[in-house]
Amino acid sequence: MPSFDLQSFFRQFLYDPENPLLFNNGFFVFFFAVFIGLYYHFRNSFKIRRYIFCFFSLYFFYKASGFFVVLVIVSAIVDFVVSNAIYVQKNKAKRKLLLIASIVFNLGMLFYFKYTNFFISVSNDLFDTGFNPLNILLPVGISFYTFENLSYTIDVYRGHFKPATKFSDYLLFLAFFPKLVMGPIVRAHDFLPQINRPYVLSDRDFAKGFYLIISGMFKKLIISDFLTINYVNYIFDDPSRYTGLENLFAVYGYAAVIYCDFSGYSDVALGIARWLGFSIPTNFLSPYQSKSITEFWRRWHISLSSWLRDYLYIPLGGNKKHSVGTFLFAGLFVFGVVMAGVHLLGLSYIGGGLLSLGIILVFILPSLIKKDKAGVATNLNLLATMLLGGFWHGASWNFIVWGALHGIGLAVHKIWMLLTGKAFKKINTKPWYNAIAILLTFHFVCFGWVFFKAEDFNTATAMLNQIVHNFSFNVWDAFYGNYHAVIWMIAIAFILHAIPDSFADKLLDRYNRVPMWGYITIFFLFVMLYGYFKSAEPVMPIYLQF
Amino acid sequence: MNSNRRVLVFVLSSVTLYLLFSLTAYIFHFNWTPFKRVNLISDVVHSESTILLEDSTTTGGIVIIDKKPDKEFNLYHRPHFITSFNTDTTKPSLYRFLEKLDKLKKGEKRKIRIAYFGDSMIEGDLMTQTIRKLLQGEFGGSGVGFVPITSIVSKFRQSAYANYSGGWQDESFKNTGFNSKVFLSGHLFRSNGDWVEIRDQSITDSAAIIEKSLLYGNTPQPVSITVNGSPYNLQPGKSINRALLARDLNRGIKIGVADERLPVYGITFETSSGIVVDNFSFRGITGIEFGKIDSVFLKSIAENHPYDLLVFQYGVNLLFRPNDKNFSWYARTLTPVIRKFRNCFPDADLVIVSTADRAFRYGGQYKSAIGIDSLIKVQAILAYETGSNFYNQYETMGGRNSIIEWASRSPSLANKDYVHPNHRGAEILGGYFFEAIMNDYRKYLGKNR
Repeated sequence: MPSFDLQSFFRQFLYDPENPLLFNNGFFVFFFAVFIGLYYHFRNSFKIRRYIFCFFSLYFFYKASGFFVVLVIVSAIVDFVVSNAIYVQKNKAKRKLLLIASIVFNLGMLFYFKYTNFFISVSNDLFDTGFNPLNILLPVGISFYTFENLSYTIDVYRGHFKPATKFSDYLLFLAFFPKLVMGPIVRAHDFLPQINRPYVLSDRDFAKGFYLIISGMFKKLIISDFLTINYVNYIFDDPSRYTGLENLFAVYGYAAVIYCDFSGYSDVALGIARWLGFSIPTNFLSPYQSKSITEFWRRWHISLSSWLRDYLYIPLGGNKKHSVGTFLFAGLFVFGVVMAGVHLLGLSYIGGGLLSLGIILVFILPSLIKKDKAGVATNLNLLATMLLGGFWHGASWNFIVWGALHGIGLAVHKIWMLLTGKAFKKINTKPWYNAIAILLTFHFVCFGWVFFKAEDFNTATAMLNQIVHNFSFNVWDAFYGNYHAVIWMIAIAFILHAIPDSFADKLLDRYNRVPMWGYITIFFLFVMLYGYFKSAEPVMPIYLQF
Repeated sequence: MNSNRRVLVFVLSSVTLYLLFSLTAYIFHFNWTPFKRVNLISDVVHSESTILLEDSTTTGGIVIIDKKPDKEFNLYHRPHFITSFNTDTTKPSLYRFLEKLDKLKKGEKRKIRIAYFGDSMIEGDLMTQTIRKLLQGEFGGSGVGFVPITSIVSKFRQSAYANYSGGWQDESFKNTGFNSKVFLSGHLFRSNGDWVEIRDQSITDSAAIIEKSLLYGNTPQPVSITVNGSPYNLQPGKSINRALLARDLNRGIKIGVADERLPVYGITFETSSGIVVDNFSFRGITGIEFGKIDSVFLKSIAENHPYDLLVFQYGVNLLFRPNDKNFSWYARTLTPVIRKFRNCFPDADLVIVSTADRAFRYGGQYKSAIGIDSLIKVQAILAYETGSNFYNQYETMGGRNSIIEWASRSPSLANKDYVHPNHRGAEILGGYFFEAIMNDYRKYLGKNR
């Protein structure tokens, strides 16, 4: 007979490092049901509702990352106190000092947890210091809530809005569980006013929330997880063991995985928020439909790119002027490219210097031609933003290389616009031109993903090497024979992605009053599909011969 | 109209239904797998079926083993240990091999050549490059040993660089035009105007003088090839021949062959005295393929290019289906092959290295292949019955589920296919094997003091 295990039942309530809480855990189903019951019951008492929300958010965080939840609380206290102090402080110098204190605190925490070991290894490599790496675990979501804290304090400092007066308001903004683990990065001025508002939803809101949650889960749990486990991981683990064709498909597969994973999670967060009466701006707008790399960054992880624009690019000088930071980062970049040229590409110091000079020219040449002095600063600021943006994704050279590639991509696109803007006016609206532009942009982005995903630089170059030098369609039959499920899943991912964004809205407008049993049926169909993929026989790698 | 109630109704009714389904599934033993995987209460309710899954290590259909005097079969379980199944475990196992090692250590000039056979686990000189480096460090010698003319993993291999033209024909275990005179690598190459350039990248001693020899088969008459651009005549004669092409400080050599009648095997990089470790990897095989090589030919190898230790590491390709447990057919097929090698290489000791751990997904979770204990037992029986030695690589790397642990470490030691240790993992495995030899060597020293 089946037996109920009381001990495991109680253990469910504690943090389990092997099995942290995510939207797809069974525990989350119960968590959300209890939460929604209480939230709905106390919907008209803003204070109780807020406390419930804070408690459940913090508990969610505890179940996702253990006692790191304390960090969220501490940083909420610090930033709440400091921002209010900035607000009442009239002395300019003291205001600035408070702001700096807040930035140092937030970035310091992020640095300690995320980047300490990276800098230890850099120091060991460059100066032979021989430090031992520390045993530091990365707290879940720290990159996200640190940025939220920073933007909040900076906005208060800039006088953009009045800080939150109730601590629970601020805590909820920071810990809001739908977006805590993987974003999107929410801005306080968007979010705070929504906290103490009557809980009102339209049919349309309910339908949209449902659509976002189910489609997000589909992207994350079915497409992304299936491709990761059954294909992408195999190839990225050891690209040299596989043919160029397999490697190329792994790159396409990863492009689908990273999009489905990231945007899927964002969509679920947006959907849950929508159901609770909060509207959070969209984070992804079918980025692979972009016709240029500039457009890509307007469609990819929008909450991050707009954050970087407002709190990094503009303070650096934006498109108007340069600052100390502009040249500091440009200098670091030049140095980095020279070192990378020497150590990674095996060039001489002169070769590395020339490479570096060449790349810098790409950034400043267009402005020099146009005799636009501010343009030089703009491009260098852009480069600095992309480098730091890359580094935000993870503490490794790969992410810096990835950021630099995108920075260069943006600059090259600017040159292209400068050269062809007028001349191509007639053709750059033609469908074939757009198709080429989309394909080119997509492949450039994919090229970047190789560095983003590969464990180290050598793995990335091994992968590219296989694609360029060991590519043959002769292996297609065997490849398709073994991986047809994977290939079809990649195809589904891109077909779904190719559907215009407005399609979902049109659909929802048309069917906005689906009866409740309809929603429940769709939900259970999804659960069954999820179960099917979770229990499917794994696709095993084959090792093709050339 | 406020639709916030819809959220509540939807969530509560879905969860209630979901919970009801989950409970009913348990009570009525409704075991449809897709639902089982998403059953809401699976974390807190145990049913018999989940417990049964754990108990799957039984071995099925195994040959009965003769009890031999002074032999203890169960020694095969022991990790970090090369066993000849001798009950007295203080005695060394690889006695003759160790004797040769000891002479080399004491200053005698001689080559000790080791052939390490394996599948994709040792591809790209993984494991063997570590074993070679450590043994050469301990007993002397330089050079990467045998390098085949072309290889699917030549770009992946770090210890030797190979560049070759595209026209080489490869006759191998897996090709249709199979030739019973393929070398131990499983390959034979022919060419009509192709070239190959191989450079040994394993050598750290810049003063080492490296002998670069060509291994080739029999030809009806003398054949002229080019070596670094100059003509060079190969003499016909034996089934397998070794031509010393150069003996100098150079690490690389380039040859051109313009006669399809000449069977070419590869180039060896050795010093005149010291340890040589040849990596013979062949992807996807289990070892039974060596049965196809002609015995006379094998004897000719033993005579003209002798080996002192043969190591066979296979097994992972037998575990290609998650639920296989019966491998007795493997023992039946491989036993004559091992016997043949022992006969043809009478001066060499032979070690059978067990498979390393490999995992499959069982019910959504990765676990060691359920047949792995059974396979390792079969491999041990092979060693026991043929009078060979056995090394339990599976227990040495950590036993059950160790590949999962290796793959999840940071930095990882194994790939996420849960089959292949990566270069970091292979370095550890190579180090373990070297240590096992050294342990045996210390026993030898103890006995002969």
